[in-house]
Amino acid sequence: MKIRYLKVLRDVTSDYTMNFMLVLAIAIGVFGIGCILGGYAVVKREMTTNYLGTRPASATIELEQAISQELVDRVKTMPGIREAARRATLVARMKVGDKWYPLLLFVMDDFSNLRISTFHWVSGATEPPAGTILVERTALDMMEAAEGANITVKTRHGAPRTMRISGIVHDPGLAPAWQEQAGYGYITLETLRWLGETQGFDQLKMQVSTNSNSAPHITRQAGMVSAWLEKRGYTIHEIQVPPPNKHPHQGQMNAVMSIFIVFSFLILLLGSLLVATSMATLMVKQVRQIGVMKAIGANSRQIARLYLFMLLLLCVTALVIGIPLSRLAASVLYNRIAVMLNLELTDSAIPFWVMLVQAGAGILVPLLAVSVPVIRGSRRSVRQALDNYGVSQTKPIRSAWLVSLSRGQWLGDTVRLSLRNVFRQPARLTLTLGLLAAGGALFMTALNVSEAWNNNLRRIYTQRLYDLEIRLNEPIQPNVLIPKLKIIAGINVVESGNSASASVRKAGPYDITHTYPDKGHGSFTMQALSIDTKLLKANLTEGRWLSKPEAAEVVLNQLARSKDLELGDTITLSVDGKATAWTIVGFTEDVGSPATAYVSAEAYARYVGSAGQANLLRIGFTDRSRTYVAGKTREVETILEQQSISVRASVPVWLLRNAIAGHMGILINSLLAMAILMALVGTLGLLSTMSMSILERTREIGVMRAIGATPTTIRNLIVWEGLVIGALSIALAVVFSLALSVWLGRFIGNMSFRTPLGLTVSPLAMGVWIGIIGIGTYLATVFPARRANKITTREALAYE
Amino acid sequence: MFANIASKTTNKVQPKHVIELVNVSKSFTLAAGAFQALKQVNLRIEAGQLVAVTGKSGSGKSTLLNLITGIDKPSEGSITINGIRIDKLPESALASWRGRNIGVVFQFFQLLPTLTILENVMLPMDFCDTYPKKERNERALQLLHQVGIGDQADKFPSALSGGQQQRAAIARALANDPPVIVADEPTGNLDSQTASSIFQLFASLAQAGKTVIVVTHEKEFSAWFEHTIALADGEIVNAPAVTA
Repeated sequence: MKIRYLKVLRDVTSDYTMNFMLVLAIAIGVFGIGCILGGYAVVKREMTTNYLGTRPASATIELEQAISQELVDRVKTMPGIREAARRATLVARMKVGDKWYPLLLFVMDDFSNLRISTFHWVSGATEPPAGTILVERTALDMMEAAEGANITVKTRHGAPRTMRISGIVHDPGLAPAWQEQAGYGYITLETLRWLGETQGFDQLKMQVSTNSNSAPHITRQAGMVSAWLEKRGYTIHEIQVPPPNKHPHQGQMNAVMSIFIVFSFLILLLGSLLVATSMATLMVKQVRQIGVMKAIGANSRQIARLYLFMLLLLCVTALVIGIPLSRLAASVLYNRIAVMLNLELTDSAIPFWVMLVQAGAGILVPLLAVSVPVIRGSRRSVRQALDNYGVSQTKPIRSAWLVSLSRGQWLGDTVRLSLRNVFRQPARLTLTLGLLAAGGALFMTALNVSEAWNNNLRRIYTQRLYDLEIRLNEPIQPNVLIPKLKIIAGINVVESGNSASASVRKAGPYDITHTYPDKGHGSFTMQALSIDTKLLKANLTEGRWLSKPEAAEVVLNQLARSKDLELGDTITLSVDGKATAWTIVGFTEDVGSPATAYVSAEAYARYVGSAGQANLLRIGFTDRSRTYVAGKTREVETILEQQSISVRASVPVWLLRNAIAGHMGILINSLLAMAILMALVGTLGLLSTMSMSILERTREIGVMRAIGATPTTIRNLIVWEGLVIGALSIALAVVFSLALSVWLGRFIGNMSFRTPLGLTVSPLAMGVWIGIIGIGTYLATVFPARRANKITTREALAYE
Repeated sequence: MFANIASKTTNKVQPKHVIELVNVSKSFTLAAGAFQALKQVNLRIEAGQLVAVTGKSGSGKSTLLNLITGIDKPSEGSITINGIRIDKLPESALASWRGRNIGVVFQFFQLLPTLTILENVMLPMDFCDTYPKKERNERALQLLHQVGIGDQADKFPSALSGGQQQRAAIARALANDPPVIVADEPTGNLDSQTASSIFQLFASLAQAGKTVIVVTHEKEFSAWFEHTIALADGEIVNAPAVTA
């Protein structure tokens, strides 16, 4: 090895603490990138493999009548159609303990020959015998049951029946049951009859043979089939075209991961800035050595190469630490996401390109960051280098405000001197402040957004002043039922309304929706409520709430609003195939609702039907706690059973909140993890920059001691200097974090609720960051100050 | 002591005047205004001479040395060393030229603390790529033996006395076998006995054909020098145009 590189090796190993901090700073960034990219790469690959493995239908045509197998066979032969099958989907209820939960039942024609919208068999029967059910694996926990156990199921028209779970399947096209707070089951038509339903196969699922990724093409093909069916006397309710070949959560996953990738790179950038600051300090510390090396024949390039080699050593060490740890963390991440997305990992190998990106970023980003100080330091002339006597004031302090401030007698001598010291090296100060402010801003942003997310979840309760929503299978007479319900003690308010699946009628003969087979993702609902409802506090963003009972007015929430819709526009909504025109009078922002169009109960009765009837009940209790609501829900359901009222779904608001929190829980937890990494890098930055800044002034400290400064004065001077820098960085971090929180809140809010998260300033985040900076500054200054005080004045004066 | 080194390494035919400064001036711009450190200096130094540069603080001694070593460039005039106009050389070429042609010895030794004495001596050969890699270790060790500290080769500078460190620095200055050795107050940090031995080393070098220029304040060693250049206020005061 060349002697010059031996010097670098010895330099690196001569200051373990400092270099360990630098390695750690880079390693954290490399770790973050590897963890996120590794997790993302595996999940993205597996999400596609899992979802496409179910051979999802390109489109589902919902019909009024049941269709025959013969008709399905004819559809299969139509041009552009690869495959077709008939199905039925209905929402039943299952009893778990003494609570009823929604149960989505998929009725299949021939379990032995599933060629479209299929699932993966896990255990037990491959075809459920009559009176039994195959259950999606994630629903078992919801059902508190296992294979072979019995569950009680009730459909709209049938009596509660006990069914045996004859097999377990995995359907990666469905969100986990615990997330949706619902069960999923697969039954035969025979079992459906046994459950008391007369419904036949009223869904036609089809796959196109070409352009399977093109939604317009699929829509055209589905329209062609629908027209063909209509000619044969069938009534088309709607055509469902979910985003082609795209898992229901794919868009969200891409967006979430892109945020984290940006955060990871920012962590690496912070670490690299720290390395750049340290390298600049090291070059100042070794300036005489640089001068000597140049005097004995080294040129600027050779000097620059030495320090870049040092950086390379640090980076390679960081990669050796960061890459294996990141792969471990990535495996934890993709396994957790797989659970969240109901994926079965068939191949958990992290692609090789992830390691290449880590290695590339882990070397290139620090290299770019240090290139400026290294080039500048290595270009210093021999005379400048040899004449250097430590930190000096090359330019006089020109800021009048600083001079005035630091002249203030009220500050005391030590603080005044500290203030001036802070601004002695503007470039260094800028870098240090930038590093700390960026770390603080990202830390506080992560916590602010997390807090904003929780606030938004709380809005589920503040917007909904009811605690229980009951959707009924058959319309009831509310004026008869409500007095009976009000007998229950603890009920505050009961309101009735109507809720129906709707679609926006656009140009063309059919209602096109983007609903996924689970009927939840991508769905659109029309809700008919009393205009003076006391149980819904609409958060209007534009226009007004419904005011004229009889008028065909509609208020759309943010998910129902398309970009081209404005106040006063007319929108045609189709319910059960019946299209009606409505004037838009307002827009709201809802939390936790699907796309919803609010109309008045009277207008609904007039234009859609069902006068004097309701299929939706909303109940507010005097106590909103989960335990109380759960108890009262049972009492309400008992009365409904006594009245022979068939309940489609009973959804307490806490259940809704849990479902939404479950969707994004991992995002918020990951944000918090990022915040911790930021805090770690920020603290490392603080410790290293402050201690280096003091180290390079050892000679100056010697001078001060020689002219009479006591150790206490020296310590106070250094600690005050650190505290001033810390305070400045906190102020900057708060300002940056506000801007960043708005941006990130908008991004995450729009992604999850289609509405930005409100700006929330977390006092905890600010307090923790102030604590970190305060304690960190103290520790980062008091120890070097103690060290500076320990060496003799003679040694300090001789320090180079 | 150095005769054998010189016989091995100075077989080149050198011009009579190794160093030639013609009308050299050097000005600096300071916060207080312009400062002229050297004024119209003319100087010729021949090969194999041991020359002292004396003068008070601020007289221009270090500036003169910096100009001769190419560390600084003159504001006016020309500097020719071994037939090369070093004031015309670009910075990158100057570094390599300096490494091969000038051996620099500093007052505070300036050995790199994380390299052993042997490695410090090998470093100039490494930077200038002057000797085959396999020979560098042997040559460095030989140089250390010849300055009398061969047994200290594997020690770090901090383990050596000031005199030993300065001997190591001289060995380093000789590493690339340069024709000119320049020393800036090499004994300023040493006791008189050690200083005497250092001057003895320089005299040996001059006898071996090296041109040695030493900045010194110490009059008691003036006997060692063949010529003395006295500087005052940036001008040579002991001769209008010195042929040292």
